[in-house]
Amino acid sequence: MKNRLKVLRAERDWTQGDLADALGISRQSINAIETGKYDPSLPLAFRIADLFALPIEAIFMRD
Amino acid sequence: MRAKDHPAMRRYVRRFVPITVGYMASIALATFIIADNAPANALTIGLALLPGLAVLGWLWAMARLLVELDDEYLRMLEVRKMLVATGLTLAITSVWGLLELYSPEVPAMPVFFVFPMWCVGLAVGQLVNRFGFGDPGDCG
Repeated sequence: MKNRLKVLRAERDWTQGDLADALGISRQSINAIETGKYDPSLPLAFRIADLFALPIEAIFMRD
Repeated sequence: MRAKDHPAMRRYVRRFVPITVGYMASIALATFIIADNAPANALTIGLALLPGLAVLGWLWAMARLLVELDDEYLRMLEVRKMLVATGLTLAITSVWGLLELYSPEVPAMPVFFVFPMWCVGLAVGQLVNRFGFGDPGDCG
C-alpha cells in the first residue's frame, strides 16, 4: 500500500518525531509506514487521517 | 519516542534483570549444594525447581511485553522474533528427536536446552528483522 504521509508531514513542517508524538507511537513506526515497510492497522490509519483532517483514501492508496 | 524508551520496553528490562539475577543465583546454589549423582529428595527437587521459576518469570515478562506494547509496529517486530525462535526450536528439536528415535548412536538432547535454544532463536529473529525487513527493533 502506498501513502502520502511523508508529503503531508513535510507540508506541515513536522519531523517524524513530531508526528510520532502526536500519534503516541514510536518514530520507528512512522519511518516504517512512510517507507512502505509496514501497513498500519485500520484503527491507526483512522488516527492518522483524523490528525491530518483528511479521509483515509487521501493518505493511503492501493499499490 | 524511540522504541527503547517505550514504557513497556523499560518495564520489560526492569523485570528481566532481576529474574536473570535470580536464575543465575539459583543455578549457582543448586550446583553448589547438590552433589553429582545425589539421590533425589525434597531438597534436591526443590533446588532444581528454583531456576524453573525464573524461566517461568522470563516467559511471563515476555508475555507482559506483548500485552503492554501498545505500538503495533514494535509489537509486530517482537512477535516476528518469537515466531522465528519458535520455528527454529521446533525444527531442531523435532528433527533431533527423530534422529534419536531411529539412530541409537545419536545422543539424547537434554530438554534443559530447549529454552536457551529458543532464546538463541530470538537473536536469529532479530537478524531476520534487520536483514529481512530492514528494522532490528530495540527489545534485544
